[in-house]
Amino acid sequence: MAIRVNLDMMMLRRHISAGELAERVGITPANLSILKNNKAKAVRFSTLDALCRALDCQPADLLEWVPEEQPED
Amino acid sequence: MFWNDRRSLELSRWCVRGFCLVLAAVDVGCYPLVKWYMSMNRQTMGQGLWDGLLMMGSIWLISVPAWAALYRLGQLLKNIAAGQVFTPENVRALRIISWCFVTAGALCFVSAFHYLPWGIFAAACGFMALLMRVVKNCFEQAVLMKDELDFTV
Repeated sequence: MAIRVNLDMMMLRRHISAGELAERVGITPANLSILKNNKAKAVRFSTLDALCRALDCQPADLLEWVPEEQPED
Repeated sequence: MFWNDRRSLELSRWCVRGFCLVLAAVDVGCYPLVKWYMSMNRQTMGQGLWDGLLMMGSIWLISVPAWAALYRLGQLLKNIAAGQVFTPENVRALRIISWCFVTAGALCFVSAFHYLPWGIFAAACGFMALLMRVVKNCFEQAVLMKDELDFTV
């Protein structure tokens, strides 16, 4: 996936556990794990809003675009 | 309310069982059935031994894809009853059912060279194969959409 979710780093900076974050954001720990492990295919704006609010950060602090290698012809 | 999804599903499962019984009866009682049919249609079909054998052969051959389709249909309904609707396994089952109809249609088409009314069954099987294929395509898209939805946080 070309978009990387830097949730681990932000959680470390804010000293917040996965369980606490999941509770504050209002998502299940399983869904938070999907986000953390970069398995998510889409993120709702409402979830992003809740994450930014809980972690006191900007969406750009959480999401990063990583260029993927293009297959050669 | 008296009628609900669970009962509808149960009715479908009983219908599949009913078709299995009818197909088993046709397979087992093929000889007397063909004999009776030939006696009823003396004007339209030949009365020789080969005519009867070809008719019986057609029925038995066509019953092979019919059994396969019924088996897959039963599996499909079992999965749906278990709450597993849009899964790759169900898409595969629908694809196999569609190919069963294609096979049955092809066999009916070949049999129509011997006895023309088989052509009607060939056309019906072709149409059913087409319908199953469209349903399979819908399920295929639904599986992709469900996959996307499951990983939307």
